[in-house]
Amino acid sequence: MKVYVKLIATYRDHLPPDANGNTTCVDVRPGSSVQDVLAPFGIPLDERSVIAVNGVTVPLDTTVCEGDQVAAFSAIGGG
Amino acid sequence: MYGWHGRLLRVDLTQRRVSAEEIDPQVSKDFIGGRGVAIRYLYDEVDPSVDPLSPENELIFATGPLTATTAPTGNRYMVVTKSPLTGALAHSNAGGHFPTWMKRTGFDLFIFEGRADRPVYLWVNEDEAEIRSAEHLWGKDVPTTTDALLAETDPNARVACIGPAGENLVLMAAIMNDKDRAAGRSGVGAVMGSKNLKGVVVFGRKNPKFADDAAMRALSVTISKEVGADMMAGSALRKYGTAYVPQVTNEFGILPTRNWQTGTFEGVDTIDGPTLTAKYLIKPKPCYKCPVSCGRLTEVAEGKYAGKGEGPEYETISAFGSGCGVDDLAAVTKANYWCNELGMDTISAGMTIAAAMEMYEKGYIPEADIGGPLRFGDADAMIEMVQKMARREGFGNALADGSYRLAEKYGHPEIAVTTRKQEFPGYDPRGAQGMGLLYATSNKGASHMEGDVVYEELFGVPVKVEMSTTEGKAELVAHFQDVFALIDASGLCVFLALRYVFSNERMLLPTRLSQLLSYTTGVECTPEEVLTAAERVYNLERLFLMRAGSTEDTLPPRMLEEPLPDGPNKGQVSRLGEMLPEFYRIRGWDETGFPTQEKLAELGLV
Repeated sequence: MKVYVKLIATYRDHLPPDANGNTTCVDVRPGSSVQDVLAPFGIPLDERSVIAVNGVTVPLDTTVCEGDQVAAFSAIGGG
Repeated sequence: MYGWHGRLLRVDLTQRRVSAEEIDPQVSKDFIGGRGVAIRYLYDEVDPSVDPLSPENELIFATGPLTATTAPTGNRYMVVTKSPLTGALAHSNAGGHFPTWMKRTGFDLFIFEGRADRPVYLWVNEDEAEIRSAEHLWGKDVPTTTDALLAETDPNARVACIGPAGENLVLMAAIMNDKDRAAGRSGVGAVMGSKNLKGVVVFGRKNPKFADDAAMRALSVTISKEVGADMMAGSALRKYGTAYVPQVTNEFGILPTRNWQTGTFEGVDTIDGPTLTAKYLIKPKPCYKCPVSCGRLTEVAEGKYAGKGEGPEYETISAFGSGCGVDDLAAVTKANYWCNELGMDTISAGMTIAAAMEMYEKGYIPEADIGGPLRFGDADAMIEMVQKMARREGFGNALADGSYRLAEKYGHPEIAVTTRKQEFPGYDPRGAQGMGLLYATSNKGASHMEGDVVYEELFGVPVKVEMSTTEGKAELVAHFQDVFALIDASGLCVFLALRYVFSNERMLLPTRLSQLLSYTTGVECTPEEVLTAAERVYNLERLFLMRAGSTEDTLPPRMLEEPLPDGPNKGQVSRLGEMLPEFYRIRGWDETGFPTQEKLAELGLV
């Protein structure tokens, strides 16, 4: 199934060259978790990483569905 | 004396007289410094009911005990006064270089009172303070004024000044320092303009001494190394400045778009940090000795928006970009340059134009009044309005009073998205419930710098809390208001402070910050004690606010009654009513938001 991955700020560097801006589309097996989706990108996830599915913050073991958008970024501060 | 100099410079502009005064050491201990000591003086010396643009108002520049120290980002100052925009308290914060240079004059505070009969500037070279004529500079923009003042004083000095916006009493006029740094909010520049004070020039070599020099330097080095390691590992703030944030707020559906009519912007990809870095960034530009370096030195090399300067940062992008429906980053950047040069707050300026665009499109403002169309997305019309606002030309005269007065003038006050008549910063509280409580209760009107709980709600600093719930937000907002008061009193920058000098837990404690203050001043203090001092500051500010008559803690109707139409928070409004009673109870305030006698007695404010 298709899932969209949006990598923001410093995580953007982990997108493949053919990504559309900061978003790419990946094929994953049904039942995949957020962690499964993000693993191939090699992002250095840590306690500062913020992960969201469709704009709602979720833990890494959350199961994704067809068409979901997984977003990730890491912040040390705001605007 | 350590940390503090214990002296202030009083500048009577009416009499053209300067005098040095001792600061009561107990006041410094009880209120820490910066924003804290400044409100003590403002409260004691200014009737809160005065006209903010009258000679009876005071304008206070205040450094903290950590300003001009080895503490990383110990380089902030506060401008404290009664605001002409809100009629309430103003405390605006800036970095750059000026704050450290000001502290090195040997004074912790400058207090400006009265009004000069002709334009003047103040030149402080340690103990030599002189009021000089600025008649030749009246009408000049910020870069021209800054260069001229340095040429006629000392090229190694530093300058804070106003531009045409401050002179013209524009209600969102800023005080600019080092050309591109702004004490931006609440119209502090108009207060300076009302006093005929064009600029302040500072130079000195009086660095504060530390009570425990070895411990202070060791802890400063430890913190610097931690920051440095994080920067090397990859920091969004270093790489993109705060311009990376539009993608984050857009993803969570709280990016103010077209005057807060929606929370997502289809043009976000063309106004974000990577676009800025790729197209316009020359290099990051740090404040004095800052290890983070979030400032952006940029240039739009060609085209009708060509220019060079600093910015834009997130707030500017959310106001002039998504707020006005403009997806051209060059235009947003040009608006930023002009606001800096004219001396105007980008948040209130951009959001006021956004409100005017909505009223124009809905037919509430006749085109004849504006002098042409003013539609969302019209970048040329937007930046033309920036110039007109600062000079109060044509329709700019109505814009110069801010969105609340503009909307009221045209009979549609519901269009203005403000609290205490001050425009919201770039986080929609319908999606971030804590921010709604913060804006509603803020002593200075809507502001992210009064206790920015979006750090936890959005960025996960230090821990992530759920944005869309009201649970626990009353406690969090009250705590963050005190935390920000503490940072503003100490002289640090919030960007570094929250991550590196507080404990890494939800109700963060100023563990290292209290150590830095103890080592610097010699006044032993625990994290709990400095937080109590911050609570004292916040409550005294509250008393000033209440006596000024700004007593209603609420949000505009769009936030309370119009659900977000899109994004992950679609259908949501701010649920302020669920949080406000608990917030008052936690604060020790009565049901009208007034501090109880018990709370005031506990804080020594009776």
